[in-house]
Amino acid sequence: MTKPIIRIHNTETDEIIDREMTAAEFNQYKLDVKEAEAKQAEAEAKAISKSAILDRLGLTADELKTILG
Amino acid sequence: MATTTNYGWTTPDDTALVKDGAAAIRTLGSSVDTTTKALNPSTTLGDIEYRSSTANTNTRLGIGTTGQVLSVSGGVPAWSTLAAGGMTLISTTAFSGTSTTISSIPGTYKHLKLVIVGVYGTSGADELLRFNSDTGSNYTYSRYYVSGGSGGFDFNRQLTYFDFGSVASQTGAKEKGFKEVDIYRYTDTGGVFMSFHGLANISNTAVGSHTHGIYYGAAAVSEITFSSAATYSAGNAYLYGVN
Repeated sequence: MTKPIIRIHNTETDEIIDREMTAAEFNQYKLDVKEAEAKQAEAEAKAISKSAILDRLGLTADELKTILG
Repeated sequence: MATTTNYGWTTPDDTALVKDGAAAIRTLGSSVDTTTKALNPSTTLGDIEYRSSTANTNTRLGIGTTGQVLSVSGGVPAWSTLAAGGMTLISTTAFSGTSTTISSIPGTYKHLKLVIVGVYGTSGADELLRFNSDTGSNYTYSRYYVSGGSGGFDFNRQLTYFDFGSVASQTGAKEKGFKEVDIYRYTDTGGVFMSFHGLANISNTAVGSHTHGIYYGAAAVSEITFSSAATYSAGNAYLYGVN
């Protein structure tokens, strides 16, 4: 399986290397993506929950913003 | 023989003979000439003088070079060149791949500033920022953000990265991502304070954030990595050393 490509720019030599991730980097990458996706899902769930509350109150998001001033 | 009050020039006495007048004038004139030259030793355009340790004798100071300023050295005036200040461009790195690293950052500056211009990627995925490839729980930050018409703030303690917002997913000239990162005293090993702010366009929604964080690494920051689940399509990171 092809791993994602990363770029490393050495400021001392100005050398730029584009290469595949190592196994360790790829494992970290997968962890990062998983965590990011979990955060995204959490944010989306929060937004849905907020929307449901507003529906129950019969308010739009803009009306809530007006109330909170 | 009478003398003048300040410089002690010899002048004829009231009883001096008129016939000796010419010689007296020559003696006085010579004294005035000598004193004047001692007080004004300039020889060249731009010269200035300052008092020497000898009474009534000034020292010539030749003009400095362009950009030099008058300062004091060893108790006397001297021209000196100011230490270099401001920002020095260390590198320009084009974003590419799923992560882009700026490595071998010299430790010779006081602070670092990153200006990130025109970044966008294959999706509006989250973007992470790490120092020294350190995946330890050494990143603590607080963040204020706005996404479209709503916003919020959060505080994150001892994570394994700084949340660097999201990669812009729009490619229009007025829709790419721009960020500015300041890393203060980056060679300190007892905690490095950083702040950044930026704006990106994620799926036609403007997302902006201000973040303040501390990196608790054990070594000076010599490497900065941006990574994302998206693949970078364009953009540059300009790294400046600040003195």
